[in-house]
Amino acid sequence: MGVSINLSKDDKVLTIKISGRFDFSMHNDFRNAYKDNNLSNGVYVIDLKDTEYMDSSALGMLLLLKEYSSTNSSKIKIVHASAEIREILDIASFDKLFLID
Amino acid sequence: MDKKIILIVDDDIANRLVLRALIKAAGFDYIEAENGREAVDIALSSPVDIILLDVMMPVMDGYEAAELIKRDSSTFIPIIFLTAITDEKLLAKCIESGGDDFLTKPYNHILLRAKITSMLRISELYKKIDNQNNELNAHNLRVQQEISLAKNLFENVLSHEMHQGGTGLRYSMSSMSIFNGDMILAARNVTDGLNILISDFTGHGLSAAIGSLPVADIFYAMTRKGFSFADTLSEINNKLKLLLPTEMFMAAAFISVDRDNNVVTVVNAGLPNIYMYRNCGIIKEFKSTNIPLGIISTRNDSFDSEMESLEYGDRLFAATDGVMEAENEQGELFGSHRIVNNILAVKNAEDIFDTVLGDCLEYSQGVEQSDDITLLELCHKKDVEYGIAEQDALPSINPAQWSMQFSLDINSLRTFDIIPYIMQGVNGLQSIPNGRSTIQTILTEIFSNALDHGVLGLDSRIKNTPDGYMNFYQEKTHRLETYCEGNIQIILSHELREMGGGVLTIHIVDSGAGFDFSKIDYSIENNRSYSGRGLTLIRHLCKESHFIGKGNAFIAVYEWE
Repeated sequence: MGVSINLSKDDKVLTIKISGRFDFSMHNDFRNAYKDNNLSNGVYVIDLKDTEYMDSSALGMLLLLKEYSSTNSSKIKIVHASAEIREILDIASFDKLFLID
Repeated sequence: MDKKIILIVDDDIANRLVLRALIKAAGFDYIEAENGREAVDIALSSPVDIILLDVMMPVMDGYEAAELIKRDSSTFIPIIFLTAITDEKLLAKCIESGGDDFLTKPYNHILLRAKITSMLRISELYKKIDNQNNELNAHNLRVQQEISLAKNLFENVLSHEMHQGGTGLRYSMSSMSIFNGDMILAARNVTDGLNILISDFTGHGLSAAIGSLPVADIFYAMTRKGFSFADTLSEINNKLKLLLPTEMFMAAAFISVDRDNNVVTVVNAGLPNIYMYRNCGIIKEFKSTNIPLGIISTRNDSFDSEMESLEYGDRLFAATDGVMEAENEQGELFGSHRIVNNILAVKNAEDIFDTVLGDCLEYSQGVEQSDDITLLELCHKKDVEYGIAEQDALPSINPAQWSMQFSLDINSLRTFDIIPYIMQGVNGLQSIPNGRSTIQTILTEIFSNALDHGVLGLDSRIKNTPDGYMNFYQEKTHRLETYCEGNIQIILSHELREMGGGVLTIHIVDSGAGFDFSKIDYSIENNRSYSGRGLTLIRHLCKESHFIGKGNAFIAVYEWE
């Protein structure tokens, strides 16, 4: 349960992995995950492999990251979303805002 | 800090003297009582911090006194029993009757002082909790009052023009859902159909609802003025983008029923599928194809919309994700498949709404819902009835003589809906009792005639099939985007009549090739087909109306009293 992070050796790829429910309770952990690690021209990889559920406040958190990433010219990639989570992302048309694998 | 007051209760004067000396030496004040009755009276009427209570006394014994004090005192007063009893059962009774501690006589003075100090510490803790509780209660009360005030405000704004029943609209929202950001807005459009906005803000609680007031404001004002859904949605979106913090947005669907052409237009921006029901089946799912509102800036052409022709009896079902995500006691979600199953299983279409709602509520019974349950049904009825929330009272302006002229080139025609602006101009200049919607209808019909058949050269025979309107609309959109020439001029002039009232003349000229208008059939038969109703309608509403020149100009004269 929670947020785990992994920063690549070249400081270019920050992987944020969310386990369990991705909802408002993750707010602080998720924000700290990207604010504590400086990227520049890098990629934020949001790994949803172990995410069971995602609500609209999680979508809001992704928007916050998007805003933040534009200040350091980094990209965002969402990976390993299950079919259920993919549906939530699709309903919100987030594929128009994020790169979703 | 004030000196602590200790109540000494003993019928034996010698015992009281000993205790008095001890308490004085320890730096406390004291009050004395000779029996339980006196002790109760004092404890309940004057400030006492701790009670040293003997057990065996005349009038009322210590057990009974302790019980009464603990029952009736509004604060926590620690009671230490001082007794010669050594029987364990009786000592236990001291605690059961409400005592907090006991000390057997003859007592150790140091031990007694220590017990008093420790009891005072506990009573301080109690007082702290008590104060916090009081503060919390006062705060809760204030919040309750504020919520009921805000609820009132929201209801006043949002219930405005909410037509139900006669218009085919039915909906259910949980009572506090407004505060959790769910909203349904409905208003009558120029075709006598409804424009509906069903929406769900991110997050929960009052903060999720802040956006609903400006949204309602824009929706009602722009629908009333006759703006298209694209303009209205774009305006709402840009307002929310400005207003809401980054992480907040509004998932919404816009549904507009055009009763002139029997077509429904749906824009789904982040809501679950909207189901269209006909003849015991789901004939269409309107999926979300747009980013929810308030996330990115948009123009009025940025929204994907879908159209479908309507038959009488068709029903649309829309819900916020609270319905899909209603949980049962096993933590499983209600899900869209249960809605679909319900819609398909019900024999009588009239019962679908109640069945879906009932099933969802039953499913989630006993579980606190994280989201609100908002469900909406819109039935396309042959006849609609609206409530009295009709034309807004406009300030009375004396009739006058005026004229105004508009010229639109192809770029303006492509990007801009002129009718609402003309209507604003007319309304600002002239109060025409009961004429507003008639003039708007005339203008809309004449203008779309000039644009569709004049500038764009579309053949209205495309519309001669049930699906024709959609083909027509697609072709219209295509030509609007690709044509690089064309213009329309509109001149409105108003004159007074000697017997009161006035005459409004609308003159419109388009850049099209014109046509032979001598062969137009205005008869009732023509009115039954899929096109041509516009002209018949204009003839009916106007004193005079006809094509002029080579068929690329039209004059309509409207008289009012």
